[in-house]
Amino acid sequence: MSLDIVVCVKTNPDAQMIRIKNREPVLEAIPYKVGDLEKNALEAALQLRDAAGGGTIRALTVVEGDRKIRETIKEALAMGADEAVIVADPALAGADQAGIAAALAAAVAKIGACDVLLFGEGSTDNYSGQVGARVAELLGWPQIGYAKKLALAGGGIEAERSMDEMIETLAAPLPVAVTVVSEINEPRPISLMNILKAGKKPVTEWTLADLGLDAVGAQKRIVSNLAEEQDRKHVLFAGAVDEQVDAFVNALVKEGVVGR
Amino acid sequence: MERVDCIVVGGGLAGLAAAYGLAAEGLEVMVLERGNYAGAKNVTGGRLYMDPIRALYPELWEEAPFERAVARESITMMGDGAHTTVEVASDRFAGAQPQSYTVLRARFDQWFADKAAEKGAMIVPNMKVDELLREGGGDGRPGRVIGIRAGGDEIGADVTIVAEGVLGMLASAAGLRAEPAARDSALGFKEVIELPAGVIEDRWRLNEGEGAAHLFMGTVTRGMLGGGFVYTNKESISVGVVVGMAAMLQQAEPVESYKLLDEFKELPQIAPLVKGGTVAEYSAHAIAEGGIARVPKLFGDGYLLAGDAAGLSLNALVTVRGMDFAIASGYHAARAVATAKKAGDTSVAGLARYERALRESFVLKDLETSRAIPRIVENPRLFMHYPRAVSKLAESVFTIGAQPSPRLAKTVWKGARRDFLSLATLKDLWSLRKM
Repeated sequence: MSLDIVVCVKTNPDAQMIRIKNREPVLEAIPYKVGDLEKNALEAALQLRDAAGGGTIRALTVVEGDRKIRETIKEALAMGADEAVIVADPALAGADQAGIAAALAAAVAKIGACDVLLFGEGSTDNYSGQVGARVAELLGWPQIGYAKKLALAGGGIEAERSMDEMIETLAAPLPVAVTVVSEINEPRPISLMNILKAGKKPVTEWTLADLGLDAVGAQKRIVSNLAEEQDRKHVLFAGAVDEQVDAFVNALVKEGVVGR
Repeated sequence: MERVDCIVVGGGLAGLAAAYGLAAEGLEVMVLERGNYAGAKNVTGGRLYMDPIRALYPELWEEAPFERAVARESITMMGDGAHTTVEVASDRFAGAQPQSYTVLRARFDQWFADKAAEKGAMIVPNMKVDELLREGGGDGRPGRVIGIRAGGDEIGADVTIVAEGVLGMLASAAGLRAEPAARDSALGFKEVIELPAGVIEDRWRLNEGEGAAHLFMGTVTRGMLGGGFVYTNKESISVGVVVGMAAMLQQAEPVESYKLLDEFKELPQIAPLVKGGTVAEYSAHAIAEGGIARVPKLFGDGYLLAGDAAGLSLNALVTVRGMDFAIASGYHAARAVATAKKAGDTSVAGLARYERALRESFVLKDLETSRAIPRIVENPRLFMHYPRAVSKLAESVFTIGAQPSPRLAKTVWKGARRDFLSLATLKDLWSLRKM
């Protein structure tokens, strides 16, 4: 059987690189990369396609304006996606989850060949966890969230959902939208050979107009995005190294951080 | 084996300048950078001198993310509790075409990588190259470099440009250059300290957008070869100390070199400049200071060396350069490879034009002119005796005591006779003629 899969990929600023200045994240000169859960989704797509014995995997992303998306999406292609589709439009700036979902749903419809639509459960940066469900709703497809195991069964898909204290097993016909959690797999490392091949894979770019959409207005806007303020105690220990270590350990014990 | 036209090892300025030029010529080029992004592993003091490289890739510099145009140069000689500063400003330093800019590499190199990528270069971060692949070696000859091995994959290339940086481990392992010696190396420590632009302009008496470069020698390195530096960026300052490795190893007591930077920042003339700032970055890096005597053969069958990996840096005490050499060597590497590819000859003979071009350019000419400097600066009196003596003499000139003062000329003469009129000073002066 041939299984066509679309993986929705959000590229995020590299969280390890972000510094906080005046409680706000400094995004200047921060490289972007494919989100962690999106890598799980890509890995799930590769495994499903292998199980099916064939099919095309497309990485789909939406981005506002001029961000350096072409380089970042190569990460998805290097992991094993066959093609990439980028919806790039300045009108996407400030779009909320509803707007992003509208653009993604229109793009999936335009792609056409899609049996399984995969998402990460939430994005590495904002983690609203809404977009997968919204796209499924717009397409009128069944949606399975918190998937920690996926298998093809009976011409459809069978998924184990990771609930807090139980595991729920669901079956759904195709086409289906699935959002995955990190437990589902260990994304494969990207090899140099595959990076080289990724450079030659087809990348399609669409604007909102290509999808028959005008603007995707936002019904919500971000008022502020502030890091939690942490009061540091700024304690300095003086004296010989042994004394400093003793004083440090005592202080940690006193704070209840270690031992008792 | 998968192949590309050219592999560039290292996404610093030399590697990116090469990749940009090669991609612009339509060649398939892949840059392998071991850091998280281009510039992640790079450290500069520092500033970039523009006039040597302005005509290379002129389209790039208009929009480059420079920090500040350096309008004022200062050098401070530090003695015991006294110091003397020489300050030089010129309308031409930061005029319509500034001669140098301060830069922050994390920002600058990422921008340069984007530019190379726009031209079609493939930039691969997080990719450490494990080995240069060779074939046909033996009898003491390294053989032809045919590509690289990285992360378990082997990729072939007509030419491999090794721009791996100062340590040159791949090139050394492949026998393309000698390992760096302590005598020809220095160690730099730097902090980037954030301050608001207005505070920087007030503290350094700068017009908007203008910057200052300030070098320090003497007690800052406890008299060891090296010095301290402060460069102003847009909204931060770069503060650091550089010390010669051999000088450090010669000390009777082991030197905890990183402490020199803390001591520098706590000096009464530096503390008020960094006050209230937030440390945003800390870095340490080796610096090649061997000069042209330590520049290896720059080309061979299937490979070129560029930038710091080729030892292309020059510390001439009052000017410190490396990034302009890196960009120029990358530029000439790209031109040489493009020409060699067109001629279908990437052997030693085909790539020899690279070293010829560098010999005809400022890169090897300036290094040749400064051939004697690395040995001259091994004289510890330059970093111990003279900064002290100058500061002491200047201090005495400006001192009014309780006793009647002697004539100024007498004060100067006394100080000069004490510290400057000696055979040793004559010998030092004689050695300086080659600077």
